[in-house]
Amino acid sequence: MIHRPSVDWFALAPALILLGASGLALLEAVLVPRGARKVVAAATTALGFLGGIVAAIWLYVDSVHGERVIANALYRDRWAALAIVIVCCVGLASVAVSWSERMSERHIAEYYALLAAAGAGMAFFVGAANLMTLFLSLEWFSLCLYVMCAVDSELEGSLEAGLKYLIVGSFGSAALLFGSALVYGATGKLGFVEIAQATATGGLSHDALLVVGLALVLAGLGFKASAAPFHMWTPDVYEGAPTPVTAFMSAATKTVALVVALRVLVTAFPQEARLWTWAVAGIAVASLAIGNLAALVQRDVKRMLAYSSISHAGFMLIAVATGTPLGGRALMYYLIPYSAIAFGGFAVVAARERELGVPVTVDNLAGFGWERPFLGISMTLFMLGSAGLPFTGGFVGKFYAFSAAYDHGWIWLVIVGVVATIVSLYYYLGVVRAMYMRPAEELRLAAVAGGSPPREALLQAAVGAAFVVTFGSFFAVQPLIELARHAASSLPF
Amino acid sequence: MLGPSVAWYLGVAAFLFGTGALGVLLRRNPLIVLLSLEIMLNGSNLALIAFSRHHGNGDGQIFALAVMAVAASEVVVGLGLIVALNRKRLALDVDKLSTLRG
Repeated sequence: MIHRPSVDWFALAPALILLGASGLALLEAVLVPRGARKVVAAATTALGFLGGIVAAIWLYVDSVHGERVIANALYRDRWAALAIVIVCCVGLASVAVSWSERMSERHIAEYYALLAAAGAGMAFFVGAANLMTLFLSLEWFSLCLYVMCAVDSELEGSLEAGLKYLIVGSFGSAALLFGSALVYGATGKLGFVEIAQATATGGLSHDALLVVGLALVLAGLGFKASAAPFHMWTPDVYEGAPTPVTAFMSAATKTVALVVALRVLVTAFPQEARLWTWAVAGIAVASLAIGNLAALVQRDVKRMLAYSSISHAGFMLIAVATGTPLGGRALMYYLIPYSAIAFGGFAVVAARERELGVPVTVDNLAGFGWERPFLGISMTLFMLGSAGLPFTGGFVGKFYAFSAAYDHGWIWLVIVGVVATIVSLYYYLGVVRAMYMRPAEELRLAAVAGGSPPREALLQAAVGAAFVVTFGSFFAVQPLIELARHAASSLPF
Repeated sequence: MLGPSVAWYLGVAAFLFGTGALGVLLRRNPLIVLLSLEIMLNGSNLALIAFSRHHGNGDGQIFALAVMAVAASEVVVGLGLIVALNRKRLALDVDKLSTLRG
C-alpha cells in the first residue's frame, strides 16, 4: 500500500491553468488551420494568463494563514499568490505585445505555448518549499525562456542570444544545484523549514558545507535576477532576444527570482542572517554600480534598459538584504511599479523597432515623442519612474527600499542608493531628450521604413496598462502597501 | 561493508563540478561547453547520492533522478540551438558569436 500525499489542487491551480493553456496551444499548432492558428493560440494563452490571475487572486484571498501543502513541497500563501498575480499580468501584456511582432508564422503557436509554460513554471517556482521543487521549477521556466529567446531565427542575434542564455543560465542553475547538494549534505534535509530547524538544533550555523552551499544557492538565484556580478549575460540576451520576450523576461523573471531569494534566505537560513545580509548588500552595491555606470555609455536602447534592469535589481536587493518585514514589504511593493516600468519600456522599444525595422538606438528615437504622442508620453513616464521621480510608483518603491535599509541601520547603503539614483537620471533623461528635443533636421533621420505602419491597438493597450500601473501605484500606495504587508506577513521573519 | 567515507565522494563531486565549471569558462566549442554543463550537473548528482546514503534518507536520490531528467531536457534544447546555428551560418566557436556586444 503506497502512502500518497493529499494534493491541494487549488494551490496548484494557477500553474495548472497555465500548463493547460500551454498544452492546448501546442495542440492548436497542429490541429488548427494555418490562417487561424495565430489568433487561436494567442487567445488561448491570454485566457490562460487571465485564468491564472483569477486563480491567484482567489488564492490570495483564501490563504490568510500561509501553509505548506502536497507533502510540504509547496507553499500556499499570500507571498506566492501576489507574485503569481504580477507574473500573470506581465504574461497577459506579453501576449498583447507579441501579437504583431514579425515572427515566422509557421511556429507561432509553439511560441505562445512556451510563453504559457514559462508562466506556469514561474507560478510553481514562487511557491517552492524545498530545494528540489526550487531547482525543478527554476529549470522549468528557464528552459522555456531559452527557446523563447531563440525563437525568431530570422532575427539576427536571436539564436545567439538563446545559446548564450542557455549556457550562462545553466551555469547558474548548476551552481544552485551543487549548493543545494551541499546544504542537503550539511543538514540532511531538503525542505526550507527543516533546514532551518536542523541548523538550529545541530549548531551548524558555521558549518563550512552549509555556508558554501548558501553562497552557491545565492549565486544561482543571482544569475536569474541578473544581479552583478552574475549579470554578464543580461545585455547580450536582452538585446538579441525578440523584444516582447525581453519585456517578459525583464519583468517576470526578475520578479520571481527576487521573491524566491527572499523566501529562501529568511525561511531556510535565518541562522546565517549575519552572513547573507552582508553578502546581499554587497551584491546590491555591485549591481547599482555596474548597472548605472555601464548604462551611461550605451547607445542601443535595449542594452541601456538591460543595464537599467540590473540597477533595479540592486535597489530591490537593498530591500532583500535587510531581511526584515519592512524589507519584504518594500520588495513586494517595488515589484509592482518595477514590472510595469520595465515591461512598458521594452514595449515602447518594440513599437519603435517595428516602425523602423532596425535596432532602436538613442539616435533613431529622435522625434518619436512628436510622431507617436501617446507612446512618447508613456516612455517619458517609464523613464521618470525608473529614475524614481515623484508621481510614479518608482519613487515610493525606492523610498520604501531606502527606509528599510535605514531602519536596519545601514545609512551608507541609503547613500549609495541615492548616488546611484542621481547618476541614473543622466541616461533616463537622455532618452526623453532624444525623443523630444532633437533639432528638426535630425527628425528626418527617423524616416519610417515602408510608410507609416498601422497603429497597434494591442500594444498600445499593454503600454496603457503599464502607464496606469506606474502612475496609479503612486496614488494608490496605501492599498498596495497593505497587499504587500499581508504578503510579507506569510514569511517567517 | 563500509566503503570510503562521504568526504571522498564529496571530493570527487567537487572535482567534477570544478572541471565542468572550468570547461564552461574556458572551452570554445559549444558542444564541449554543453558537455561541461552536464559534468557540473553530474558532480552535483554524485554529491546528492553520497549524502543521501550518508544521512540514510532517500530524498537526495529522488532529487538526483529528477536532475537527470532536467539535464536531458537541457541538452535537447542546447543541441537544438547548436544545430540551428550551424544550419544558419556559423562556425562552432563561442568566441566568434559576438554580434551582440557593446
